[in-house]
This record gives sequence, structure tokens and C-alpha cells, in this order.
Amino acid sequence: MTTIPSRLATLSRTSVSAAESRKRVIKLYRDWYRSAPEICALFALNYSPGYVRYAIRQKFEANRHVTNQKAIDVLILKGRQEYQETLNGWKMMDQVTGILLDTKALERPNKTFLQKFYEGRDGDGVIPAASGIL
Amino acid sequence: MSLARFIPRTSALSRFTVSRTAPTLQRRWVPRAMYSAGGGLTRESITSRILETLKGYEKIDPAKLTQEASFTKDLGLDSLDAVEVVMAVEEEFSIEIPDAEADEIQTVAQAIDYIAKTPEAH
Repeated sequence: MTTIPSRLATLSRTSVSAAESRKRVIKLYRDWYRSAPEICALFALNYSPGYVRYAIRQKFEANRHVTNQKAIDVLILKGRQEYQETLNGWKMMDQVTGILLDTKALERPNKTFLQKFYEGRDGDGVIPAASGIL
Repeated sequence: MSLARFIPRTSALSRFTVSRTAPTLQRRWVPRAMYSAGGGLTRESITSRILETLKGYEKIDPAKLTQEASFTKDLGLDSLDAVEVVMAVEEEFSIEIPDAEADEIQTVAQAIDYIAKTPEAH
């Protein structure tokens, strides 16, 4: 499969105001939301577009508290990069199912050291980043 | 395939027997939807379909849903939910609303207006 590398590529730029960055985030979310069926078809996923949308929503919700303008710009750029890499088919299956569509990582409760110790593991570092289905 | 095709035939046959052609014509002429005709959606059907779509969205309380309701103020949705709602309306009417116009749709009435003035919606 050949892709045009510049397809969906965006320049990194700084937002002038909070209103502008808000608009950019909404546009990014809309692009992701609209492309969910395409992602399912492209990677032949066993998930419904609705689940893909839910997982993407979780990624956005995870950064809801960010107020720093520069941090928001970086997050938007990273989101755009992810979007480009996903829709151009530059990702492997595990990167899609294990990282992009992984909602458990965000839902994982913050446990204390002792709670983790009693369960037999000292940290979440033992879970590999991309191991497909966790 | 239009009715015009039958007209010369009926006129040719009518020279011989009028009584025999009438039932044949009736048998052959099957009424069907003319997709070339510009029907368009009525405002009532747009309204009911949009309200049905919004009722299906789990974050909207059906009791609060009216035609004048604003997504953020009355229905209590945040900006990402509003994006999803507008996208659901897009899918219902199988159109794609450009970003600039989708941003402006903030109430149920605006969504109805947009669909009403979009000829591609069906």
C-alpha cells in the first residue's frame, strides 16, 4: 500500500488564543470521530466504530484538565500526528489495538504501593506498552 | 421508463378495440416511486427524525428535549458531546456538514434549519 507522506500532515503552530485552540481541538475530535469507520475498515478491526469513538473520546477526556496554552498546542500536534499515522496505515495492529484503542490504561485505578505489592507487582511498568489485547 | 412509452401503443391498439386495451394497460402500468422527482423533506419529518436521533443519544435527557433546546445550556452537553450530536444528525441524513457550519449548530432548531436548507439531505 502506497501512501503520500504529506497526506494529513500539519504544521506545528501556536494558537493565538484559548478560543482558537479550543476550535482546533474540536476540529481534531471531529476528524477522529468521522474517520472511525475508516479505521475499522483499514485495519480490519474486530471493534465497532462506536467502540473506536469511545476509545478516542477517552483519550481526549484524559487531557481535559490541561489549561497551559503551550501544552495544549503540543497535545493537538501529537493528536494530528497520531491521526496521520493511523489513517495512512503506518501503524501495526498492536499499536492500534494496544495503544490507540486501549481504554483500560486510562481507567486503571491509582493504587497505593502496598495494594500493588499485595497483588504481587510493584508497579504498572510491568505491563508492556504494546502487547495487543491486555 | 416512463408513461410516454405506452402512449403510442395504446393509441395504436385503440383503433381496433378500446375495451381490450384498458385492462392490459392497467396490468402493465405498475405505479412506483419516481426517484427523478424532487420530493424533498418536509419540516415535520425533519423535526421528528432529528428528535428521534437525539433521543437515542444516551447523554440527552428525553424529558428536556424540545425544539428550542440548546445543546450546551439546556441539555447539559459539553463541546465534544455537541460534536457527536451534530455528527449523529449528519449520519441520519447522510450528509457531511462542513466544520465552519457544524460549529455554528448549537441548538436543535439550528440543526433542523440546516437540514431544511440542505438539498442533499435525505
